[in-house]
Amino acid sequence: MLLRCRISLATFELDIDVRFDARVTAIFGPSGSGKTTLLDAIAGLREIASGEIEIGGKTLFSSVRKINLAPQRRNLGYVPQEGALFPHLSVRRNILFGSGRVSRGAAAQSMSMEHVLEILEIGHLLDRSVTELSGGESQRVALARAILSRPQLLLFDEPLAALDIGLKEKILPYLARVRDEFAIPMIYVTHNVTEVLTLADWVLVIRSGRLMAQGLPSETLTSSRAIRAMPEEELENVFTVEFIEADKASGRSRARLSSGDEIFVPYVPTPAQRNIQVRVRADDILIATQRPEGISAANILPGTVRNVEMIEDQSLVRVHAGEIFCVRVTAGAITRLALHEGSAVFLIIKTRSFQLL
Amino acid sequence: MILSFDTWQITLFSLAVGLASTVLILPFGITLAWLFARKEWPLKSVVETIVLLPLVMPPVSTGLILLKIFGRRSPLGQWLYNRGFEIVFNWKGVLIAMAVMSFPLLVRSVRTSFGEVNPRLEQIAATLGASPLKIFFVVTVPLAYKGIVAGALLAFSRALGEFGATILLAGNIPGRTQTLSLAIYNFVQVGKDPEAFVLLGITVVLAFLFVWTSEWLLRTEKKV
Repeated sequence: MLLRCRISLATFELDIDVRFDARVTAIFGPSGSGKTTLLDAIAGLREIASGEIEIGGKTLFSSVRKINLAPQRRNLGYVPQEGALFPHLSVRRNILFGSGRVSRGAAAQSMSMEHVLEILEIGHLLDRSVTELSGGESQRVALARAILSRPQLLLFDEPLAALDIGLKEKILPYLARVRDEFAIPMIYVTHNVTEVLTLADWVLVIRSGRLMAQGLPSETLTSSRAIRAMPEEELENVFTVEFIEADKASGRSRARLSSGDEIFVPYVPTPAQRNIQVRVRADDILIATQRPEGISAANILPGTVRNVEMIEDQSLVRVHAGEIFCVRVTAGAITRLALHEGSAVFLIIKTRSFQLL
Repeated sequence: MILSFDTWQITLFSLAVGLASTVLILPFGITLAWLFARKEWPLKSVVETIVLLPLVMPPVSTGLILLKIFGRRSPLGQWLYNRGFEIVFNWKGVLIAMAVMSFPLLVRSVRTSFGEVNPRLEQIAATLGASPLKIFFVVTVPLAYKGIVAGALLAFSRALGEFGATILLAGNIPGRTQTLSLAIYNFVQVGKDPEAFVLLGITVVLAFLFVWTSEWLLRTEKKV
């Protein structure tokens, strides 16, 4: 599928050409970078001064050819940040609001109401009033409503931003299930690195309405251009690991990186799926040039420095230690340890610095 | 208390014409309020001002304008008269005067409640394939209905209280165009204070009921 989007607005000029066979394309950027504007423009909810929007070869908008399809005819599902459920309708009537739309394509087949309810685990909420729902439930209902309108493309506008952190982590797996279960391509707008790394196959980094970088999430989000567009605390590493065993007494679990190296992560009961995602912030990893002794951290991973990059006053060190870890240190640390490409180092990561997703 | 035939006639006539006037202005008022709240169009502010004028102009002035528009010597009045519609000095004049005078109150109230409906909900409804008409009737109106009912009640009570415009357009003809307000004025003029007080009591009770209901509706709307 191809998304071509050239739009000019008063505050904003965006020119992107994305060919995404990717199931989930994330649009990543800080607040105020024009992400919602872009989604609204794609959905036809905002007037565009000039430009062109084309999805899968179909022109939705063209100022030159005087085409401007009404939102009703664009066949897109929109999941807004605040859910935007109809407060006067029951959960059931909310979910079925767009279900009258004629379905096209094979994707529609898998989207029976029962199936969607089962995947999102909201069957028991059907007869509730939407005003009684929790934030997480509201978002799942909004998601079900969008899916059941059988769209050719799902648009997500920071669907987790309004939820607190604990809840976010509960909703993320549902989004991943929707991605895996229904063959609907998604555009996912967010300023959260974890969400991109967990869900997306492709990422566009935008800032002030301009495309800064695009590519595979794990590579792109640690590129210097992306980091400049990112809030300080959000630089992190996300890996898929294989869960080996849980040991409650020691308070930790063993897991295996794709390279075969083992790591210790915080204790959780053995999960249903063996493959889980873990994350660790780039600021929570220490670098040593010798193997440290007598230290509480359980993960001491030998590795090799791939490169060192200076971004303003900070340094980003990419270390291959089973996976590519991105570590952020001060410029001073680089000098003291004389780090350069090829240096043999040890990464020190506390068990509790890993978070399970 | 046993009310005289005349008192009943006056009260029921006022209520009936007031109700008819409210029903008459509802579709126009709701449509216009929506156009004010949701659309941008040329000369919108001019139209808004004109619609609000009867609220601030002396009612007698509005009545005089209506008399000039609907009087038999005006082209419109002539045209209507030739088709068997006489507006001036009968119940239709009362209806028109009430409708014009209460219209701004309805529009203002409904406009405010439309403004409180989150436009995002209407936008999302559109992405879900709902036609503009479906959005209006299934999303916007149900979410604003309390404001609409409150506006209608307010308009109805304003219609019942109408005096200045009515007396110019419809006169003060007992049994034909005399409303509660006109009758009170009449009774006081001729020194029949007890009769005036009975009607006064009726107006106070009615006004209290309407305003109280309307305020109650608006209060409960805020909580949702």
